[in-house]
Amino acid sequence: MDPLKAQFDPVTLAIPFFVLTIILEIALTRFKAVKSHYETKDTMTSLGMGLGSNVAGVLTGGAAVAATVWVWQHRVFDIPMTAIWAWVAIFFLEDLTYYWFHRLSHERRFWWAAHVNHHSSQHYNLSTALRQTWTGGLAGTWALWLPLAFLGFPPAMLAIQKGISLVYQFWIHTEAIGRMPKWFEAVFNTPSHHRVHHARNPRYLDSNYAGILIIWDRLFGTFQPELDEETPRYGIVKNLSSFNILRVAFHEWAGIAKDLAGSRSLREAAGYLFGPPGWSPDGSRDTSATLKAQWAADQAKPNSPDVAA
Amino acid sequence: MDKQFAIQFAGSFAAVALLVALAAWAKIAKPMSPLSEARARALFADEFPGRALDALWVTNDGRGALARSGASALVLCEVGDGYAARHIPWAQAVAASFRDGVLKLDLADVSAPRARLAFDSWPPAGAA
Ligand SMILES: [Zn+2]
Ligand SMILES: [Zn+2]
Repeated sequence: MDPLKAQFDPVTLAIPFFVLTIILEIALTRFKAVKSHYETKDTMTSLGMGLGSNVAGVLTGGAAVAATVWVWQHRVFDIPMTAIWAWVAIFFLEDLTYYWFHRLSHERRFWWAAHVNHHSSQHYNLSTALRQTWTGGLAGTWALWLPLAFLGFPPAMLAIQKGISLVYQFWIHTEAIGRMPKWFEAVFNTPSHHRVHHARNPRYLDSNYAGILIIWDRLFGTFQPELDEETPRYGIVKNLSSFNILRVAFHEWAGIAKDLAGSRSLREAAGYLFGPPGWSPDGSRDTSATLKAQWAADQAKPNSPDVAA
Repeated sequence: MDKQFAIQFAGSFAAVALLVALAAWAKIAKPMSPLSEARARALFADEFPGRALDALWVTNDGRGALARSGASALVLCEVGDGYAARHIPWAQAVAASFRDGVLKLDLADVSAPRARLAFDSWPPAGAA
């Protein structure tokens, strides 16, 4: 097996499966066999983002590939692509890396700017899964996988495992599946866990960063189960007012640029760039921490409308 | 970009067109009806938890609403089968352009630049 170039790309191979299952979800919903919603413009935007991210990947992926190959050439160990233990190891290590990539992508604005578009749909269906970033390559988060190449995992192996993770995460973007068996929910990322991740309800914000295994969220304290009494409302804290695909792809970058232009010190600029999304010098904007605190304070009130209802 | 990529892209493009057409045919968006005052209140409560509304106006077409909450104007607009909400200073909302029954608000946000709300008159009596 060529350690530099993957023999196959799991994502490309899965495209027919993506298309067929979306057809199935729409048809089953149409004939009232399952519950889901598709809005035409929203679907067009989500799928358009998927298509565009393919092109963006080709345009900006070169640096990541070159860096990975270079680091692997200076590796510590020789890890054979043919060994089963190597695949088991990379399954866990890649998934752990994904967890921290995903957490960083939510907790710091610079990386959120690249990831936000996966979350900006107010829908949660299989088309939402394909709503992928155009600017991930530029945000440089691929660097988080370099330590694995340095350990000795061949670039081709990394590419294949990253693809497997992406394909795994496709099927969980659905409301058509309620809960999986208990043992499965305990170990794996599921539609239920990932619905919580896409929800904008304050109590659900910043949780369930898992790729394939939910164990990392349980381990690092970011796990939040889906609660029957709190139906997820999807989207971002401040939803977009249009389906314009360029706005979807670039709005947070434009917001950062606008804030940087208006910032009055290095500290402010750093806050706007690397603070949590919604950070502002005077605290006048909402962050997920302030929203969660507001929500908790509301719950604590003896006659809050939520409690009374 | 090589030929194989071009073929794959063309195939994906066709698939996207097919899926969008299918979604349009299925008519399975969330059902939307003109906002009632109660529904607008509930949406504002979701968008701005804990903020009391001093006054609320639902637009003529039921596709948006505006509320006063202290020194802020809370704005709600229909987007597809959902909503987007923002807040701006109340004074700005009062002074905003109102012509031919449409109030145009500058929301000063890249992700929601403007709102257009249909009202009979603006500003509301005694609101300034
Ligand atoms: Zn996310
Ligand atoms: Zn997702």
